[in-house]
Amino acid sequence: MASCPFSTSRRSLLRGLALGTGAAALSSGSGRAADATPSAQSDGTLDRQPFHGPHQAGIVTPQPAAALFVALDVLAEDRGELAKLFRVLTERFAFLSAGGPVPSLDPRLPPADSGILGPQVLPDNLTATLAVGASLFDDRYGLEGARPRHLRPMDRFPNDSLDGKLCHGDLLLQFCANTAETNLHALRDVIRHTPGLVALRWKLEGMLPPHVVKRQGQDTVRNFLGFKDGTANLDAADAALMRRQVWVQPGSGEPGWAAGGSYQVVRIIRNFVERWDRTPLGEQERIFGRHKDSGAPLGATDEHALPDYASDPAGVRTPMDAHIRLANPRTAETASSLILRRGYNYSAGITPSGQLDMGLLFCCFQADLDAGFVAVQNRLNGEPLEEYIKPVGGGYFYALPGVPEPGGFLGQGLLVGA
Amino acid sequence: MTARRPAALAILLLSAGPALAQPPEPVAVTVTDKGCEPAALTVPAGKSVFKISNKSRRVLEWEILQGTMIVEERENIIPGFVQSLSATLQPGTYAMTCGLLSNPRGTLTVTAAAAAAPGAPDPMALVGPLAAYKLYVMTEVDAFQAQTAAFVAAVKAGKIAEAKALYPQARRHYERIEPVASLFNDLDKSMDVRADDFEKKEADPGFIGFHRIEKGLWADNSTDGLAPHADRLLADATELKRRIADLTIPPARMAGGAAGLIEEVAATKISGEEDRYSRTDLWDFHANVEGSRKIFDLLRPLVAPRDPDLVARTEKNFSRVESLLAKYRTEDGGFAPYDHLSDRDRNALKAPITVLAEDLSTLRGKLGLD
Repeated sequence: MASCPFSTSRRSLLRGLALGTGAAALSSGSGRAADATPSAQSDGTLDRQPFHGPHQAGIVTPQPAAALFVALDVLAEDRGELAKLFRVLTERFAFLSAGGPVPSLDPRLPPADSGILGPQVLPDNLTATLAVGASLFDDRYGLEGARPRHLRPMDRFPNDSLDGKLCHGDLLLQFCANTAETNLHALRDVIRHTPGLVALRWKLEGMLPPHVVKRQGQDTVRNFLGFKDGTANLDAADAALMRRQVWVQPGSGEPGWAAGGSYQVVRIIRNFVERWDRTPLGEQERIFGRHKDSGAPLGATDEHALPDYASDPAGVRTPMDAHIRLANPRTAETASSLILRRGYNYSAGITPSGQLDMGLLFCCFQADLDAGFVAVQNRLNGEPLEEYIKPVGGGYFYALPGVPEPGGFLGQGLLVGA
Repeated sequence: MTARRPAALAILLLSAGPALAQPPEPVAVTVTDKGCEPAALTVPAGKSVFKISNKSRRVLEWEILQGTMIVEERENIIPGFVQSLSATLQPGTYAMTCGLLSNPRGTLTVTAAAAAAPGAPDPMALVGPLAAYKLYVMTEVDAFQAQTAAFVAAVKAGKIAEAKALYPQARRHYERIEPVASLFNDLDKSMDVRADDFEKKEADPGFIGFHRIEKGLWADNSTDGLAPHADRLLADATELKRRIADLTIPPARMAGGAAGLIEEVAATKISGEEDRYSRTDLWDFHANVEGSRKIFDLLRPLVAPRDPDLVARTEKNFSRVESLLAKYRTEDGGFAPYDHLSDRDRNALKAPITVLAEDLSTLRGKLGLD
C-alpha cells in the first residue's frame, strides 16, 4: 500500500474537490460511503464503549491494544473558562467514542477534522478518560477546598530519577483504542477544539500485543522484561470488588463531588533492557518470583497457581524480596493495598548512551491512593528489580466521576459544587 | 565436637542456595548402632532438609563433613527421636557421621543444580580469588577514604584548583569497586547521586555528594556552601570503609561485578553524563574497566579451562578499550576531558564494551554461581 496511498475512487474525489464540486461529494458521494464502511465487520473498528455512565470508561473497561497518555497544563483564565474546557472535553469524548461523520465545511477553510481516520470517525473501541492533578487545585480556579484528600504531586521514591518534563500536570487524558491512530486522532481532535485552554505537558504512547489482548482472560501480556505482567491483577468485571478497591464511595471522607471517581497513578518506568537481556535466567526469575516461560509462581507450573508463601517463610522457593512477593504478600493485612493495574508497554527512542529507551507505562486505579499504590511501592522500595528499572516520570491524578447521561459534563460536580 | 568451619567456607555458603523449584522434600536417614541407613545419599545442590532418626542406643550427633571440616551438624538427638537439619550445600562429595566413631561414615553426594553449567569448578577453588578480591577492595576503599579526606580538606580550605585535581583521583578508587560499594545503597546514593535523579535537578536539596561538590567547583567556580556537603561526604566514605572491613563478599557478587562494571560503562559512562561539570568522565570510565578487569584476572584460571575462547576474546576486548583510551591519557596518569573524545572513538568504544558486557555476563554461570 505504501506505493499506492490513494484508491482510484479517492483520487477521482480529490479531482472533484479541485474542481470545486467536492463539497457535496464529501457528504453524499458514493465513493466516500464505500471508503467509510469497514470491509469486515469483525475488524474492531466499530467496537464501541459507552461514554455515559456513573463511572468514566477506560478504567474497568477491558484494555485494548493501544494507549496514549497525555498530561496538559490548563491555560483557562478563570473558573468559567475551566468549565468551558470540561464541557468541550466532554462533548469531544462523547463524539469520538461514539464515532460518526466528520462535518464538511467550506473547502476554503481548514477542515473540521485531521482526517487521519477518514471522513467517518470510527469508534474503534476508543475510551477517553479525564483525570485531574493536584495543581488544578491551586489558587487559579478557587478549587483549593475541593481537592481529593490524598491528591498531591507524585512522591519521589528512592529509586526514582524523575524528569520534571515527564511529570505531573493539571490534567491527564488517557486514550485507549484498538489502534494507535485512533488515539492520535482523538488527541488531535481535542487539541483542535481547545485552543487557548490547554498546553501540552508530556505524552507517551503505550502498546499491548493485539493477539494477546484478543484472548484477555485466557492469556496475559508480557512486559518488556519478557515476564507475564498482570496475572494476579484484580478482576475488573467484579463489580463488588471494584466498588471496594477502585471507586471512591460517598461518605469515604473524600469531597462529595469525588464519589464515583478513582485515584489514577501513572509511572513511566524505564527498563534497562540490554542489561536485563544479559542477566542469567535464574536471577531474572528470582527477581520476579515467577517462571519466565509459563508465568507460574516459582515452584508451580500453572500461571494462575496461587503462590504459597505460608509454606515458604524463609524465602527458599520465592525470595522474600521477589517482586511479586513484595507487591502482593497475600496476607490479610495487605489486602487493602490491592490495586487495579492497567499498564502498557512503551518504546520511545534511544538514551544518550545509545541504549534503548523502553519500559513500562504503569497505570493503576484505586479508591485510596495511600493504601493502594503508595503502600505497594513502599514495599517494593529496595527490591532487586531496581537494578534494572528506573522510574523517570508520571504523576498522581484523580479520574473524575462519570457523566451519567447526556447534558452533564465531566467535572460538573467539582465546578458547580465547589 | 566444637570445631568451627573455616570462614572461607562460610563465605561460600552465604551465597549458596539457588532457588529450587520446590521446597526440598526431607531426606530421611536412620542411624542405628551399626551406621547410617542408607549409607549413601544424593541430593541436589542448594537447600536440603535431613530427617535424622536415632535408632541407636546412644545420644547422637549427626554431622556433614567435607574432609575434616564440619559443614553442618545436629547435636543431641535422643535415642528414639527424629530431628531435622537443614543445610545449604554446594556440589561435591561429603561424608556423614553415623553414630559411633567406629561406625563407617556414610557418603553424601551433592549434585550440581540444573542451572549450574556442566563442569563448574569446585567451589573451594573460588576461595583464593575471593580472598584476593577482598584484599583489592580493602586497598581501594582505604585509598578512597584517604583521597576523599584530602579532597574534602581542599574544598573546605577554599583551594579550588587543588580540589579539582583531587576530585577524579578520589573517585576512581570508588568506581573500581562499585559492585561492592553499591551493596550499601544508602551510602552510594548520598555520595554518588546525580542531579538527574531529582525532579528539580540541581535545585533539589537532595542533590548532595561528589557531584554536588563537582558542580560547585566547576560550574560555580566556588566552594561557598560546600562545607556541609564535604563533611557528609567524608563521613560517608569513612563509613563505607568501616562496613567493607566487616563484609563477606559473596562469590556471585564478585563474579557478577565484572559484568556489572561494564554495564555501568555502557549505560552511563559512555554518554558522558556522569561528570558533566568536571568532564572527568574518562577517569571513571577507565576505573570501571579496571575494576572489571581485576575480577576477570582473578577468575581467569577458573574460566580458562572451561572456555578458552571467552578468555582470549575478553582479553582482546579489554586491550581494545585500553588502547582507545590511551589516546586520551595525560601525563598525570589521568585523562583528557570527556569532550575531547571524538564521536568516532566514542562509537568505537561501544564495540568492545558491548562484547565485554555479553561475555562477562556469562561468568557467573560458567563458574556455577547462581
